[in-house]
Amino acid sequence: MPSQTAIAAANNIGHADRRWIFEGLGLTAVIVVLAVIFTLINPRFATVANFTNILTQASFFIIIAVGMTFVITSAGIDLSVGSLLALVTVIGFGFIKGGMHPALAVALMFALGGFIGGLTGMLIAFVKIPPFIATLGMMVGLRGLALVHSAGNMLFGLPPSLTWLGQGSIAGMPVPVIIALLFALFGAWLFTHTKFGLHVRAIGGNREAARLAGVPVNFVEVMVYVLMGLVTTLGGLIMIARIDSTQATIATGMEIHVIAAVIIGGTSLFGGRGTIYGTVLGALLLSMMTNALVIAGVDFFWQLVVMGAIVLIAVAINNLRERRIPTLALLWRRQPTGGGVNNSNPGG
Amino acid sequence: MSGGGTQVATTKVMRVVDLDKSYGGLRAVDSVSFDVYRGEILALVGDNGAGKSTLVKALAGAQPPDSGRIEIEGRPVQLRTPRDADAAGIGCLHQGLGLVDALNVPENVFLGRELQTKILGFIPQLDHRRMRERTIELLERFGINLPRLNDAVVRLSGGQRQTVAISRLLLQDVRVVIMDEPMAALGVEEGRRVLDLVANMRARGISVIVISHNLEHVFQLADRIAVMKNGRLVGIVETASTTRDAVVRMITFGQLH
Ligand SMILES: Nc1ncnc2c1ncn2[C@@H]1O[C@H](COP(=O)(O)OP(=O)(O)OP(=O)(O)O)[C@@H](O)[C@H]1O
Ligand SMILES: [Mg+2]
Repeated sequence: MPSQTAIAAANNIGHADRRWIFEGLGLTAVIVVLAVIFTLINPRFATVANFTNILTQASFFIIIAVGMTFVITSAGIDLSVGSLLALVTVIGFGFIKGGMHPALAVALMFALGGFIGGLTGMLIAFVKIPPFIATLGMMVGLRGLALVHSAGNMLFGLPPSLTWLGQGSIAGMPVPVIIALLFALFGAWLFTHTKFGLHVRAIGGNREAARLAGVPVNFVEVMVYVLMGLVTTLGGLIMIARIDSTQATIATGMEIHVIAAVIIGGTSLFGGRGTIYGTVLGALLLSMMTNALVIAGVDFFWQLVVMGAIVLIAVAINNLRERRIPTLALLWRRQPTGGGVNNSNPGG
Repeated sequence: MSGGGTQVATTKVMRVVDLDKSYGGLRAVDSVSFDVYRGEILALVGDNGAGKSTLVKALAGAQPPDSGRIEIEGRPVQLRTPRDADAAGIGCLHQGLGLVDALNVPENVFLGRELQTKILGFIPQLDHRRMRERTIELLERFGINLPRLNDAVVRLSGGQRQTVAISRLLLQDVRVVIMDEPMAALGVEEGRRVLDLVANMRARGISVIVISHNLEHVFQLADRIAVMKNGRLVGIVETASTTRDAVVRMITFGQLH
């Protein structure tokens, strides 16, 4: 029988699970409420100049967190983004200072970022090193390479064609913000509307079921880290364009900020579920918090403490939410089975 | 739904010859040979650890056998990956591994064979609308009523999930459907719905290999019953000409008589 409700559901253009959209709305409300509170505490918070500042600060994190959403949804993690950013930017900067055409240098930066991401992905997909360990190793090693390459020196002085990416503006809107928002739209499309995005969600949700359904799981996993490498390069390019300098210690500790943004945005640490929308909001929320703490004159060390607490709270909320699902699965398994010699065991 | 009495058609759809698979020193599947006829329901029974799931994995391209031949309609096929099995017209429901919980119904049904469109004429993009329409068609064709296609399947009932996992197999032209304990962990009513689905497949000329520990279901449904023990195929009997006791003896003692 043609079910009316099924057809109604079919015409409903919301691909993501509805509950996750509601959570996105909840996060929006949190951001608005916090913005009001910060403004009440200190009216300087609510100026156009300050909002522009928050958005610009958030832009690198939005870009890199969009990539991280794919990684975490695939049931992975990438701790090496800060180090990769440092290595790629010191090398690219070095090329430009050495007289290479900026366009070529940028192309090489992306090639290097994607290549290193691919190496990380292969360690995970083929050598079966758990993502946490593989990327921890990359985090330390790549930072070391960056230090070796730049000998600890600070590099500065980019051509205007590049600094425009970080400092320019179009119709009053900073270029980094425009790039970040366009990239987030692209990321959302990739996540829900492409085969790649579907496969990423599938391998994160149930790798073996995805494999049996014909998803090329190892290839998809490698590509997730290639994407992460490319995205980190994009974020790094805009970051160095903005501050017109780089050094081997740039973006130290960035991974925790990026991962926090993704988790606050509701992406499951267990893989399979996430939204780009939530990630963008998470990154905005974190930038807003940092900004408010700075404006309130909170000591930098205390800012670190607050950030750490936010990360832990976000993970705790995430886990509370997830624990419901295994409980439900257990309930199903306890259902009585139809009579007869039915002593099936779940293994095998 | 008529069970054991139906005559067995004589066209061979699948032939399995001398299939072997060992795990270390353990011969989980030991020189297994059998034929599957068009539109028959072949039940595969045996104790825990008899090698049923291992056999299924070999036929599904999920875990290639060590040696042996598989023929589909007279032509030998190499089943090295799940895609190979798909291409050969073999659909498989693995024990406890049907769906990705986090995806919704159409995404699960089409996973691994997605429908795409091109935007601006060259950028491939998932065709969510067409996948959803075809899912509805498919579910209707097999009389399945699922109200919430857009929800992650984790929120469906066990029986609903199983019907989604089975309908996934019917999306393409399949010749042989293999189901590893499709009724396990289902309630009586939900188990009955799956039984109806299996009968529906036979009516469409699809051959079904179904693994079950529930002899009541087996005798209701199957045209023939294959019994495995310790990796070997003990024998295949016609449901109409055997008894439950005889099958239980085969399962337990590994002998035909
Ligand atoms: N991946 C594996 N590695 C090692 N041994 C395995 C593996 N999978 C199965 N076995 C062994 O192979 C034998 C056959 O297992 P199989 O899962 O095929 O049995 P089964 O007939 O499906 O049992 P059940 O009815 O319990 O599902 C068992 O002894 C099992 O322990
Ligand atoms: Mg089994």
